[in-house]
Amino acid sequence: MPGFVARRLLYLVPVLVAVSLLTFLIASLLPGDLAYVILGDQATPEKVAALRHDMGLDQPIWWRYLSWLGHVLQGDFGRSFRTGQTVLQAVAERLPVSFELMIMAEIIGVAVGVPLAIACAVRSGSAFDRFMTGTAFGMLSVPAFLAAILLIYLFAVELRWLPATGYIPFEEDPLGNLRFLVLPALTLALAEWPGIMRVLRSDMIATLQEDYIALAKAKGLKASRILFVHALKPSSLTLVTVTGINIGRLIGGAVIVETIFALPGIGRLLVGAIYTRDLVILQGVVLFVAAGFVLMNFIVDLFYAVLDPRIRHGHA
Amino acid sequence: MTAAIRSRRFAQIFLAAGFGLGLLASPASAQKQGGSITFGLELDISGFDPLKVGVFDTASLTAAAAIFDTLTYLDDKGVAQPKLALSWDHSEDFKTWTFKLRPGVKFHDGTPFNAEAMKANFDRQKDPANKCRCAFYIAYIHDAQAPDELTLIFNLNDPQVNLPALMTIPSTNNVVQSPTAWKTRGDDYNRNPVGTGPYILKSWAAGDRMVLERNPDYWNKGHPHLDRIVLKPLPDAQSRFASLQSGEADIIWDDEYDPDNVQKAQKDSKLAVHTYVGSGAQVYAFNTKVAPFDDVRVRQALVMAIDRKKMSQAITNGLSIPASNPYGEGSWVKCKDDGALPTDIEKAKALIKDYGKPVDFKMLVTATPRGRNVGQVLQQFWKQAGANMEIEQVDQATIVPRAFMRQFQLTPWRIVDLADPDPQMYANFHTGSPVALANYSNPELDRLLEHARITADPAKRTEDYCAVSRLINQEAIWFWTFQNSYYAISSAKLKGLPKIYSGVIDVSDVWME
Repeated sequence: MPGFVARRLLYLVPVLVAVSLLTFLIASLLPGDLAYVILGDQATPEKVAALRHDMGLDQPIWWRYLSWLGHVLQGDFGRSFRTGQTVLQAVAERLPVSFELMIMAEIIGVAVGVPLAIACAVRSGSAFDRFMTGTAFGMLSVPAFLAAILLIYLFAVELRWLPATGYIPFEEDPLGNLRFLVLPALTLALAEWPGIMRVLRSDMIATLQEDYIALAKAKGLKASRILFVHALKPSSLTLVTVTGINIGRLIGGAVIVETIFALPGIGRLLVGAIYTRDLVILQGVVLFVAAGFVLMNFIVDLFYAVLDPRIRHGHA
Repeated sequence: MTAAIRSRRFAQIFLAAGFGLGLLASPASAQKQGGSITFGLELDISGFDPLKVGVFDTASLTAAAAIFDTLTYLDDKGVAQPKLALSWDHSEDFKTWTFKLRPGVKFHDGTPFNAEAMKANFDRQKDPANKCRCAFYIAYIHDAQAPDELTLIFNLNDPQVNLPALMTIPSTNNVVQSPTAWKTRGDDYNRNPVGTGPYILKSWAAGDRMVLERNPDYWNKGHPHLDRIVLKPLPDAQSRFASLQSGEADIIWDDEYDPDNVQKAQKDSKLAVHTYVGSGAQVYAFNTKVAPFDDVRVRQALVMAIDRKKMSQAITNGLSIPASNPYGEGSWVKCKDDGALPTDIEKAKALIKDYGKPVDFKMLVTATPRGRNVGQVLQQFWKQAGANMEIEQVDQATIVPRAFMRQFQLTPWRIVDLADPDPQMYANFHTGSPVALANYSNPELDRLLEHARITADPAKRTEDYCAVSRLINQEAIWFWTFQNSYYAISSAKLKGLPKIYSGVIDVSDVWME
């Protein structure tokens, strides 16, 4: 196992270097020179040239990348030119919000998706199964911004059960914190559970046709024991993959959901940085998110190994 | 003295006119003390240190109006009134202004407010070593002097007859910050601002909320009314409005590009729509040095082909108010005849026919849904007149340098709401100015602008400015589509909101019924 972990960790290095390079390139290729943005309506050619020189923007791009990378490797991700905050400060402030949001969305998604998948797999082909599969398909096609507005309209404006926008830190008011996160998490989960359900359902249907399930039935084991103990674990390999990949999708969804619900998370930080051309923050946050995503996939890989001994021992 | 191109979210108000607090002339109705409000802003506030942020955006201006004070404020009639300054006087040539300051005022950190503090604020922004973007807007002031504790003198490079009115907006240039605070806080000062204003910054969670609490030692006794103001960035227009409907916000920022919600709120008795039509306008400049705009007939034809009412319907569901001159409803310049060309598509066709050559050109447009929309509407009007316009989409920040370098045929621009027309009119139309975008020179125009800036009598200045408007309209070197209008929507219980001068929604003296 330690050898396996070490090998996988080594793979992370080139991936992160590639991600950092891409991030840097994309940020540099954004239309609108940073000097123009900062100077606004005073962007005379002389002032632009002077500022570009001050900021090192007149240096070749590879040189700027290397010097940025050098600083990053020393733990210095830079400082926003607008707020004076360091990238690390900004990310540390925002991360708990996004993290909590994604965990809640994932929990709701699994809590809804897994039982439905099992129920559908058991009665595959039934009216219930067909209805749920159809519903899941429909939910997958609802964009987050639409779901968010509909949920706000229903639960905040009409029923007034939950707040429409805003946030309270958990340590200030745990219950209030959850109230603020219910609708955003629900919005993300609405697009989450169908994927979970569909994948688990089809794997489960396949598993239920295996001989050892028939044997278990013949032995007279309880149906619930067969389903949850004997069938669920071997059926959940694809589910784990999907859940892992979904983290990436959730980060994308968080950008929209945090903007609509005015949550002070990573997604909002990213959008704000793009609007204000705060490239230092933008590069830092994208690198951070990408590293998180890569790390998540790494954890998924490890989890595979736990679920399936063949992978652990290198036979697969 | 020009402006950024329109952008709802990042429109930065540069030099602009002030905010009316109704400080001293309080209305007779009883104002309720206590309570708190939540304000839904459209942007995250980035900070308050002029050296860091350069200029305040609309969200920062709302916060600045509560935390800081200015020397003067604009009353309901648009006249400058005393705030941190008690009185003022000027030299014969309007190039030296002396302000007598209010005694006994202290910053939130206990630092005394005096002429030295004022001068320190000015010098810090003016110092070339600090490279502050904010310095651009005080270029017309040569220096500040503090001969005694409560006397402040500004020596100007150019005459300015209306200086106190120009110092009313809570911009980076005009708000007074505590010198002790920026010296001791260093980099952290940006997010820990200290002023003399009616509210003190209590806490600020980035991206979430800024909590302002009543300043118990505020120099204006009996003010402010609320105990607390919470400012929250709610970037999405739909959910911002939903937050107002559900009562989580008491007042929200809005604009005419969100007509559905504005019109919905107008019909809702629980909500109040506050709107103000300022001076200035959304404007466009022809480059008169390049074909086809070197011919006045083409320029006139394009202006006459624009039907502003139809355009307003198309882009803001009719909320945009047509403009026929660069002054607008909010300006004290009122013209009997501003010389505006009529909307006349037949005349436009005839002029283009008369020109004889094909009229093909490119127009710069910001690469935003709104920019494209405006561009497409104009394109249709001009097609009907027989002109072929190609839309060139560029990043918003790119428009300014393109304009400075005159790399355009037709560009959008903006004249912001300002208490006096001089700074922008002079910069936009006087021969040789960097933002005289039309590349147009006319001795009569120069003479009128020079005369208006050294004349004190508003009636005579009005005559000058109306003559300027007639000249520009007839020569069609620039044209104006819509006036600058500003919106806030609040709970009907919120009272005491002053006019939204320059788009600054100032809640520092409101109360809840």
